[in-house]
Amino acid sequence: MSIADQALTEEMASRRDMIVCRGVKKWFGDFQALAGVDVTVKDREVMVVLGPSGSGKSTLIRCINRLEVHQEGEIVVDGVEMSNDMRNIEKIRSEVGMVFQQFNLFPHLTVLDNITLAPIWVRKRARVEAEAKAMELLERVGIPEQANKFPGQLSGGQQQRVAIARSLAMEPKIMLFDEPTSALDPEMISEVLDVMKDLARGGMTMMVVTHEMGFAREVADRLVFMESGDVVEVGTPEHFFTNPREERTKLFLSQIL
Amino acid sequence: MSEVTVPAAQRAPEAESVSPGRWVRENLFSSVSNAIQTMFFSLVLLGLLRWVLGQIFSEEANWTSVATNMRLLFTYNYPTEQFVRIWFAAGALFLAVGASFAAWNLNPMVTVRRVGVALAGTGAVSLVVGLIAPDTTPSAVRTGFFVVGIGLVALALAVLKVVPEPHRRQIPFIGLLAGVAGVICGVLWFFPFGDYGFADGAPTAESGTIDSSTSLPVTVMFLIMIGTYLAGRALARMIDLGWLRRTMIGWWVIGPAFIVFLVLRDPEFDWGYVLAVDVPMGAAFALGGGALLYLLAKPSRSELARVIGALLVALALFHWVAAFFGWYPMLQKARFSFALIAVAALLAPTFAGERAARLRFAGGWFGFMVLFHWLLTGINTPSTLDIAAPPFLGGFVLTVSIAYYVMLASFPLGVLLSLARTSKMPIFRVLATTYIEVVRGVPLITVLFFFSIMLPLFLPGGMGISDLAAVFAGYTVFSAAYMAENIRGGLQSVRRGQYEAADALGLTTVQRTAFIVLPQALRVSIPNLVGQAIATFKETSLIAIVGGFDLLRIANSTIPNQPDFLGQKRPALFFISLVYFVVAYSMSRASRNLEERLQAGQAR
Ligand SMILES: Nc1ncnc2c1ncn2[C@@H]1O[C@H](COP(=O)(O)OP(=O)(O)OP(=O)(O)O)[C@@H](O)[C@H]1O
Ligand SMILES: [Mg+2]
Repeated sequence: MSIADQALTEEMASRRDMIVCRGVKKWFGDFQALAGVDVTVKDREVMVVLGPSGSGKSTLIRCINRLEVHQEGEIVVDGVEMSNDMRNIEKIRSEVGMVFQQFNLFPHLTVLDNITLAPIWVRKRARVEAEAKAMELLERVGIPEQANKFPGQLSGGQQQRVAIARSLAMEPKIMLFDEPTSALDPEMISEVLDVMKDLARGGMTMMVVTHEMGFAREVADRLVFMESGDVVEVGTPEHFFTNPREERTKLFLSQIL
Repeated sequence: MSEVTVPAAQRAPEAESVSPGRWVRENLFSSVSNAIQTMFFSLVLLGLLRWVLGQIFSEEANWTSVATNMRLLFTYNYPTEQFVRIWFAAGALFLAVGASFAAWNLNPMVTVRRVGVALAGTGAVSLVVGLIAPDTTPSAVRTGFFVVGIGLVALALAVLKVVPEPHRRQIPFIGLLAGVAGVICGVLWFFPFGDYGFADGAPTAESGTIDSSTSLPVTVMFLIMIGTYLAGRALARMIDLGWLRRTMIGWWVIGPAFIVFLVLRDPEFDWGYVLAVDVPMGAAFALGGGALLYLLAKPSRSELARVIGALLVALALFHWVAAFFGWYPMLQKARFSFALIAVAALLAPTFAGERAARLRFAGGWFGFMVLFHWLLTGINTPSTLDIAAPPFLGGFVLTVSIAYYVMLASFPLGVLLSLARTSKMPIFRVLATTYIEVVRGVPLITVLFFFSIMLPLFLPGGMGISDLAAVFAGYTVFSAAYMAENIRGGLQSVRRGQYEAADALGLTTVQRTAFIVLPQALRVSIPNLVGQAIATFKETSLIAIVGGFDLLRIANSTIPNQPDFLGQKRPALFFISLVYFVVAYSMSRASRNLEERLQAGQAR
């Protein structure tokens, strides 16, 4: 069994591959940020990515929707390989939602317009339909009353929930989260995590970079530990938190827990 | 649904109103040195004012030269019987202004207190002017200043005393503006302005009342503006604001072209020629081009579209080469259309999609071509207006139209240049950078000379370009380079996360630029862009050097050469300075308000 498929239950192993990374390598100039990463994320799986700062977590998930371009190896998302001669990068990206540490809401648009922009212009939805869907999503993340405010008028937690709603409005098959709670004040972290837990329960395929161990333990199907651009260990939460195999993993977890 | 008013943040309590005496004590005479400074600068200011007044009321200054030449200063020798066109254009403009104010719900308020203070201040200045006006001032004028001054101060005091809580009471600024404009309109009816015009090719001077060709239309314009504003407000309550706004934006984009068409069009169109040549040609490009684009916009035909696009580019270039050597005749309009279809064919892969998308692309081309040919047909026909002197456009109208159209034309050009300069494609970057640096390295006057004198030499035989068009092109080329640099500053302020978020949602590069990057970049660039607009407006005075009759040239050389007003330069120069100032200052105020509104909208 390759490292990518470690710790899969039989039922999981039988599911479809949503994200497959094989030997992914990435350099920034002379600096190697990814040194041959192997990871598989199955349909409806929640995969949490752990690792010290600079280990290449962000780089990996940014390569998955091609915000960064990897140089070697292959990345297959929902059956489509990410490569240079790809015609419709926008099409793939619209199937993969991404939530950023810094929210990256569009400050000149209202919350509602933030959410409806892509459905209207990329999915070609009618405005009325898109707005109805947006309100539904805002309802789901608990802030329907903020629809006509501008992002700058919201708290960090509210902004991040809007950002999640914005991604969900595209009805993505996969959601990527890059430290979604790291820029938040402690009292707002749980409101965002709750939304994410909800999403995981609803069967969304998710890849989450986070330092929230409570979340990882409760929601993750599997965890990946990365260091220096390499996958060190893959396992279930139980495996990680009770009996990690690698020394480096133990060290990292002892620092963070 | 899209319009729900966000409750305004609680207004900060207004500064407690202090009595004037206390304010003076605290701000002007708080210490000995402060008192000395106050005295000193007051004296300097008074001396300066007295000098200015001396200039204005000196026996040498004949203010009739300004009053009589009002028409010359504003429209130069545009034929009186064609004035209705200018009025119509102005009316359309005012209509748009009124409706836009309503559509964007612009209703700035001022407190009664500020109005009162402004009135009292104006009154006080008027009194001071009456006091220190030099001996040469006619006594009627001096009395006038006293009367106005006392009247204003009394009015201000009355307002401030009668209205309870004047610093809280708000009145609409627009109402105030309408009041002032109304007073100015009234003055036109009662104050005898003279009339200096052209009749049968010779200048004529008539002192006495200005005829109703001016006071009536001005009053009508005034009523139109108020009427549309009120109508627009009523309408805004009934219909979807978003729709009204989109309509108004559309109008601001095509409106100016429409007005040019209206003002400059040949009054006696050769309809036969239009029907026989212009209409079929426009239809051929619109329909044929649309069909071709529909075929090319199929995703599987991207390669073909690129090949055909390249061939069309070659063909378009060849037309110009041929025109240069005079191999075969072709209407300029056709050459432009070929160039445009070539560009559109190259863009086809970008807009490729299923049926609906292709139809929209082809339909867009069709609409664009219809508009393009209609405008060119309107503008292209030589004007047969019967005019006394060669340049029929002059004065304030020329100044304003050049400034307006230059800004309008150089803005999209500047946006494209700035995008090209920041793009990832080296070829675009190099071309844009070269253009910008070359233009910025050359004085404006050189560019204008180049376009008005040199450009016609480079043009192929049979293809002329009017002086005005040449100057306009020169200004646009010049202004676009500076616009591009201002917008580039804005582009650089857009954070990387914004690009990434847009990409992650699957927006295309064009969509990302149009909806995310540019709106934010332009917001940041507003102050610089307005600064540049003001500069452009003032720089129009250089037209004089290449032969145009703008405000400055009329004030500086036309009026002083009139037999009645030989050597009278100062009054007109004073007057046009005032005109320049009022326009430039309004622009800068408007931009500040716009910035505040935008910031209030997205407070961080
Ligand atoms: N655009 C870039 N140019 C050069 N180096 C980069 C770039 N982006 C990331 N790196 C480097 O690549 C390495 C991996 O970065 P990455 O952001 O993926 O780490 P990370 O695991 O997400 O860390 P953190 O927990 O701090 O977010 C780091 O050493 C970083 O300095
Ligand atoms: Mg990171």
